[in-house]
Parts: sequence; structure tokens; C-alpha cells
Amino acid sequence: MRLHPRHIAKGLFYLALGYFSWLMLRITLQYVPIRYDVAFLFVKQEAITHTHYKVAFFSHVYTSIFVLLMGMTQFSGTLRRRFPAMHRSLGKGYVLLILFVASPSGLVMALYANGGLSSQISFSLQAVLWFAFTLLALRYAQARDWTRHREFMLRSYALTLSAISLRLFKWIIVSTVAWPPMDTYRLVAWLGWGVNLALVEGWLWWRKR
Amino acid sequence: MGHTLASDSTLYPSNMKQLIPFLLLLLLFGCGDEIKNSDADVDVEPGTDTTTLQSQPTPAPQAAESDHANLLGYWVGYFEKADDNYETDVFVDVGYYWNRANKINISIDRIQDSLVEGHSVVAGNDRPFSGTVKKLEHDTYQFRVKEPGDDRYDGRFVFTIYPTSTVRHEFEMSGTWEAYKDINIRHRKYTLKKREFSYDPDIMLQRAKAYVDWNRSVTETEVYEIDDNEFEEWVVERFSSATNLIYDLNASNRLLTKEEVENLKRGDLIIIRNTIYARHGYSFKNRPLRVFFDAQDWYIPVHADIRADFTEIEKENIKLLLQYEQNAAEYYDSFGRG
Repeated sequence: MRLHPRHIAKGLFYLALGYFSWLMLRITLQYVPIRYDVAFLFVKQEAITHTHYKVAFFSHVYTSIFVLLMGMTQFSGTLRRRFPAMHRSLGKGYVLLILFVASPSGLVMALYANGGLSSQISFSLQAVLWFAFTLLALRYAQARDWTRHREFMLRSYALTLSAISLRLFKWIIVSTVAWPPMDTYRLVAWLGWGVNLALVEGWLWWRKR
Repeated sequence: MGHTLASDSTLYPSNMKQLIPFLLLLLLFGCGDEIKNSDADVDVEPGTDTTTLQSQPTPAPQAAESDHANLLGYWVGYFEKADDNYETDVFVDVGYYWNRANKINISIDRIQDSLVEGHSVVAGNDRPFSGTVKKLEHDTYQFRVKEPGDDRYDGRFVFTIYPTSTVRHEFEMSGTWEAYKDINIRHRKYTLKKREFSYDPDIMLQRAKAYVDWNRSVTETEVYEIDDNEFEEWVVERFSSATNLIYDLNASNRLLTKEEVENLKRGDLIIIRNTIYARHGYSFKNRPLRVFFDAQDWYIPVHADIRADFTEIEKENIKLLLQYEQNAAEYYDSFGRG
């Protein structure tokens, strides 16, 4: 069997995705059982006093890992053709979790984001776009417009992946130029989803050309 | 577009199967420190803890007899090695080194006839001593005092206090110290000046000596091109240090805001918090911190326990700084976001 470079690239992509999802799972598990004095919350002591922030934070953390994992399988043509029912039910789960939990809670958290107005705008915009792309992708699926369904799901998942890319960019910045923590955070608040979305848009444009 | 993915069908499953061992391998390696530095420690010395039972403030030395007033009080300066043995010195990168000298405060608390009582504060150790004083000629006094001996680092002091210039009535203390036990540096010498200590929340750090935490370093390999296509590798050790921000932020005279603290790197957070302790005359056990604060002219080690001395502003600031220090230690350079 001949191994095409594209398949190697794809394999590596899934490998990386699997690895970073594992890291995300371990980040999530830091918050099990519910604690207010660990990790990220250690520097959110002001916000965490509000009940709505507590609800938003924990619903966001507990659902996002499932959103990430459910979305991962959806782009495989093999799985879609062999197990269409699975594609549909995982897709419904992905859409419902984003529309009703992950995106609205993300918006609430965005209003309290570290790093001031700049990061608040970035995270709010991301939450709104995430909701819009996911809803549109669902609408196009219902209308059986598979091309557009696919385009908007790619955009939606690009934003889902910002959970990983934001942390990855942060790690790269800190281990190369070692910026101060909040300057780094302000930058990755935009890069985290901006780069992903730009890549997807670039790819879609290139495909259509 | 659906075409690309549909054509994969024969290749994909076997491809994925090949990946499984790699994935398992990654999962095994994935149990390390990527998301958080689990060995992150934030150093709070027991004598500075704001959360435990409070100590009683120690009273400043008082003159029992007025004619000994110029002898009583704090004598401050460097407690140096008496020999020229450089093996015990600490050499850190780029010319930064520590010759094992610590700032000492020899406090003469009471003089009754020929009997002397006092204590010395150095390197986080506050030890009492007692002994005798003898008047020699020309306002010169010779002291022989002993520490109790129940501490590993106890020993005996012999020193004289003498006038440096008869015109200005300035005195100096000079002498030696010998440890009872066979410790690393058994013999010390010192020439000390009389100093007054008073807590001043407004005092700021001077640009005296850089903070280099030689206990915490990262080794990096840097590659330089020395000629066309000829490369040389250098192993560089980078130490935790502080930036110029430490000269601007005062955590003793006003409440710091979250915005001022959240962008600080770990070294700055450590120095800004520990400067609070230094203002109260805390004697540091932590070596890199001690070397840094000893170099500050205004700094006098007075107490090994300052738990009762903090102001409300300082307690609030310490709490805030520790939150960010903890976060910086655990998450600054890891994948996990703090």
C-alpha cells in the first residue's frame, strides 16, 4: 500500500489532536471535584464570587472537552459514510452543547476576561461567531446544503480548536521571547482563534479558486 | 470537496491502526508536566507567614546605664569568611558570585557592670549571647561573648568597640567569631557600624545588585554561526531574575491593584513581596534573596520573625502577590493556562 503524503499529514494532524485533547482532558480534570482555588480560578478570585460566573465557568469547562472530542470525528469521510447515524448523533450533540452551553457560558466569561477590554472584545467576538457558525452549519445541514454545512462546520471547529491553539501559542511565546504573562495573554486572546479561522478561510478560498 | 474525503476510504483505517501505538506512547509520556509545573514551589519562610499565630514584637535594646549608651544597640555589617578559601564561594554565571558573606546585626542589649547580654541576627538566625566586657585604654571596650550552643551554628564572639575618629565620636566594632561545631565556615571576621533601625514603608530598592536566583535555572543550547556554514553550540544557563519594575512598585505604602500585579513575571513578584519583609528588617534564610537584600544599604537584619509586624496594606498585598506568584510558578511556562 502506498502512503500518500496527504495521509501522513492527516495522520500527524490526528496524532497531535489526540495528544492535545489528552492535555485538555487533564486540564479539565483539575476542576473535578468543583474547587474555587485551583489553576485558572486562582487568578479569578474576584469574578468567581459571582454565582453567574461560577455557573458559566464550570458549565464551560465540563462541556468543552466533549465538544472538542465529538467534533474531532466528524470530518472523516469514512466514518460519515459507514456510520451516518453516528455522524448525525455526534453532530447533534456537538451543536446542542455549543449553542446552549459552551458558547453562552463563554460569552459570560468573556465579560470578565483577564487582560482588559482587548481580551474581553476578543473572547466575546469569538463566542458570538462560534454560536453563529455552528447555528448556520446546522441550518445548512437541515437544508441538505452539504457544501455550506461543511464550510461552516470547519469554521465552527476552528473556533473550538482555539482551546488548544491559544494555549499552544502562549507556550511558544513564553518559551521563546518570554513576554510578561498578561501581555502574552492579550496577544493569544486574539491569535488563539484568529489564526485558526484565517487558516480555514484561506483553505476554503484556495479550494474554490 | 466531498470527493477528497471519499477517496480515502481504503487508506484511512489502516493508517489509523498504525497510529494507535504512537498514540498510546504519547498517552504514557503525557503524564508529565505539560499542563502545570507540579513541582512549583512558592517560598514563604515561617517567620514571614501572615496566616499563622502571631509573634510578639521584640523590644529594641535599652540602655540600663547611660554611660554605656554608645555601646548599646545594633552593630551592622558583613560577617565574612576569615580565611581565603574560595572553595566555599558560590560562582554563578557571568561574574555573579557570592563570597559567603552575610549581613549581620550584633545587638548589644544590656550591660551591667562587666556582664553583657545581647543577640545576633544573621542568615535567618536570631541567637542570644552573653559574656563579659572589659574596658581597655582610650574608650576601647573588649567583649567576649558566647552563644548557648544548642544550635548547630552557635559559636563565640570576640570583638572590640573603639572610637574611629576622636573628633566625631564615632565608634566601630571589629572582631572574630568561631563556631563550636565543625560547620562549613568555622571562622568569621567583621567590622561593623552602629545603625538605628526604624520601619519605613516608603523606602524603595536601590540599584545595588541584581537578583539572580541561582537555585532555579534553565539550560538552553544556543547555536551561533561563526563562519559560513560553521556553527558552534553554546550551553547557556538562564537564571530566574527580576526586571526594573521592582524599583517602581512599593507594596508597603499602598494597596496594589490586580492590574499592576498580573503582568509581572515571577522574579519581580518574588522581589516585590520580599521587599516588604526587608523593610521590617527580616533576616532571610533563602540565599539568593539574602544576597540581594544584603546589598541594599538601608537593609538591616533585625528579626527572624516578623509575623506581628505587618500593616493591613501589606497583608493584603502579600495575599495578592502570592496568588500571582503561585500562578506564575505553576502555569507561566506550561501549556495549561493560569
